[in-house]
Amino acid sequence: MKTAARQIVAFGGGGFSMESGNPLLDDYVLGLTKAERPRVCFLPSASGDADHYVVRFYRAFAAHRCEASHISLFRREQGPADLRRHLLSQDLIYVGGGSVVSLLGVWRAHGIDAILREAWEAGVILCGLSAGSLCWFEEAVSGFHGEPQRLHGLGLLPFSNCVHYERGSARCEAYRRFLREGMCGGYAAEDGAALHFTGEELSRVVASRPQARGYRLDVAGGRVVEMQIATAFLGDRPPSPVAPLPEALSTALAPAA
Amino acid sequence: MPVDGNGRLPSATTPVRRVLALGGHEFSSRPADRAVCELLLRLASEHGGKRPRICILPTASGDTSEQISSFYAAFGERPCEPSDVSLFRLGRRPLALRDHLLAQHLIYVGGGSLVNLLAVWEAHDVASILSLAWRQGIVLAGQSAGAMCWFEAGITKSSGKPRPAAGLALLHGSLCVHYNNEPERRAAYLDAVGDGMPSGYGLDDYAGLLWEGEGTPSALTARRGARAYRVTSQEGEVTESALPARFLPAPAPAALREDIAEFRRIKTMRRRAGWLG
Repeated sequence: MKTAARQIVAFGGGGFSMESGNPLLDDYVLGLTKAERPRVCFLPSASGDADHYVVRFYRAFAAHRCEASHISLFRREQGPADLRRHLLSQDLIYVGGGSVVSLLGVWRAHGIDAILREAWEAGVILCGLSAGSLCWFEEAVSGFHGEPQRLHGLGLLPFSNCVHYERGSARCEAYRRFLREGMCGGYAAEDGAALHFTGEELSRVVASRPQARGYRLDVAGGRVVEMQIATAFLGDRPPSPVAPLPEALSTALAPAA
Repeated sequence: MPVDGNGRLPSATTPVRRVLALGGHEFSSRPADRAVCELLLRLASEHGGKRPRICILPTASGDTSEQISSFYAAFGERPCEPSDVSLFRLGRRPLALRDHLLAQHLIYVGGGSLVNLLAVWEAHDVASILSLAWRQGIVLAGQSAGAMCWFEAGITKSSGKPRPAAGLALLHGSLCVHYNNEPERRAAYLDAVGDGMPSGYGLDDYAGLLWEGEGTPSALTARRGARAYRVTSQEGEVTESALPARFLPAPAPAALREDIAEFRRIKTMRRRAGWLG
């Protein structure tokens, strides 16, 4: 039996939630499904299932190009009764932004964490921005409330993640400090940049803004090493062929010494 | 021994632990809803004086603006300091969660999904703060999910159909809300208690139970016909008995209150001027 590739697209920030009028990242994830009319399910859990957010999702993922649905864990009586069946039947699961701490709490209460892992393994593409990006990783830097905090995500990707990675921000500084304090190495993405993983390997970084970039961060000898990753702009410019990632960026585990 | 303004012994004694569980209500201007708000205000004032601090935790609803604005509409013009702690909105409105909650005189928990409420509280470590607040004498109140959360167990529709779910267990036993208003919930509760869920209470919409310290709670009702029930089980046999309840009269509506105040002011002025003998 051939298993479909496991894919996750983690936005640093962007898509319909943050870039009204710029559908590049949303178009990119829809395109990955290879389906003519992909089934897309929105999980707005991190926002407390805010009505206005759900409405914006349906506006962005209009009926002519996909079959959109959403799951509101605060109003279970209105949605699909069998969450697992519904999620496993999707081509794309899109997770919205908000509080990642609340998101993970509510997901665990409804068993969504296990279902998402199963969906990922079955080839359903997982994506999201902000909290919806942090959630996929082993460790994450959350700057949602007060001082940036270090927390554990679902752990589908064995790295750390930092979103809205803007130079000089408290989040940026905190990420570097956490890395020095032992957080596992990982990836950061600026607003407009998205990290596309196939399996547990970063396959490419794409962007909805020409200047947006993704980064790989590691600690070597007590110092934080940051590497900018070649990023493909998804906009009007003639598409430049994306060079394969340099060896240094390979995310494969080093053989045991 | 020195006694504080409320006649309580300071620090030497444990504060009275108070919980008000409500079967269901809204923050509307209808008489029964006004009666509930008046009770909340009175409970808060017992320790909070003339301008008690009252905070809503709208977590169970996902912090809907609807729930938050109706709370402010009910308390905004009353003698109190209302606030809200929206865990899903902290990003835009940071605040010191623990300090803010422990500074309140009454913490009110809104309705919604009991399962989500407890999950989000656990994730943010709010449960331990609330337990401390309770032990410090801050009144804990709430309706629907916000009432069941204080008990060992309740009947929730968080997953669609009514089924048992665990609460924080500050209070012994179980609670079922919207008791005669949602017959399928009551049926699920009676089944659950028969099957071994701890005995407890059923509360119709506009009925409430008030715990003040240890012992049995007092039943309250803000609408004729709304009742509180004691539900117990003996060898699988479930007994339900209505509790005698004190009726909460509705205060005058806000507009009328202003008119009355205005009338009193005029009367005083006239009296001073010697117009009224």
